[in-house]
Amino acid sequence: MGAHLARRYITETETEPDPAKPFGFDPEFGFGERKEREMVASQAQMNLAQVPVLQRDYCAHHLIKLMKCKRDNWPNFLACKHERHDWDYCEHQDYVMRMKEYERERRLQMRKKRVEEAQAA
Amino acid sequence: MRISLFNVTATIEHGCRGFQKLGSSSFQGETARLLGAFSQIRAASGPSKGMLPGPYPQTPEERAAAAKKYNMRVEDYEPIPDNGEGYGDYPQLPDRSQHERDPWYSWDHPDLRRNWGEPIHWDFDMFIRNRVDTSPSPVAWHTMCKHLFGFVGFMLLMFYLGEKFPSYQPVAPKQYPYSNLHLERGEDPEKQPEEVKHFNI
Repeated sequence: MGAHLARRYITETETEPDPAKPFGFDPEFGFGERKEREMVASQAQMNLAQVPVLQRDYCAHHLIKLMKCKRDNWPNFLACKHERHDWDYCEHQDYVMRMKEYERERRLQMRKKRVEEAQAA
Repeated sequence: MRISLFNVTATIEHGCRGFQKLGSSSFQGETARLLGAFSQIRAASGPSKGMLPGPYPQTPEERAAAAKKYNMRVEDYEPIPDNGEGYGDYPQLPDRSQHERDPWYSWDHPDLRRNWGEPIHWDFDMFIRNRVDTSPSPVAWHTMCKHLFGFVGFMLLMFYLGEKFPSYQPVAPKQYPYSNLHLERGEDPEKQPEEVKHFNI
């Protein structure tokens, strides 16, 4: 649970990535072909739905569907389980992608260090 | 005869008027001021000249007389040191507030925790139970200081370390569309934002 903190501050201080800094490696490096993330809701649609700025991410179309469902079914607050699950699942996948990006950055840093050490030797 | 009677009646009249004024006012100072005009009259209220504080005692006899005046034993009586501040022969009593006196003893004045005739401290009005409390703390003062400053210092140190070495989840920053929400965040709409590409992984 805190292994990355131990790595960052104690054991591997040079290679463990810092999420506050931008990740420097080429996004295509190591991939044959990479698909771009698709944004479904347009800016105009998000404006009309008055989605909060911090929630205007790649799952905003699910959120807009959920907001509409809640607005239509009030006061039945138990009604929109399906829409909520869709939005939650999208957010979950987004979080897993963030974890994978972090791990990719970490492995690339370690590889870079290994390459440098091999060249120095 | 008539003249002497007139003098006597005048005196009594003055005296009566003086006593009437005495009845209406309750301040001894005012009484003295009002009666000061009539030198033949003195109010019965207030301390007599022998009961008021006097100059610093120089001889052992003066000391004994002062101790008797303040209703103290000669061995106990110690005047406030004469440093020019004008305390006179007033006794130096311990600077202990009334909080420290036994609450269960049956004092003559239970609220003041004082018996009749007891010598009064110079700052007695400060040492009443509503005001300054000199009772000892439950734990020694230096222990309390150590505990407090130790705890506060420890917390400050830990917060500083928390700033230096923040704790975070091992995830990359969240990705937002439309060039990191360039327009939604209120940035200049004319300025072209830098191209940001996000990929699936």
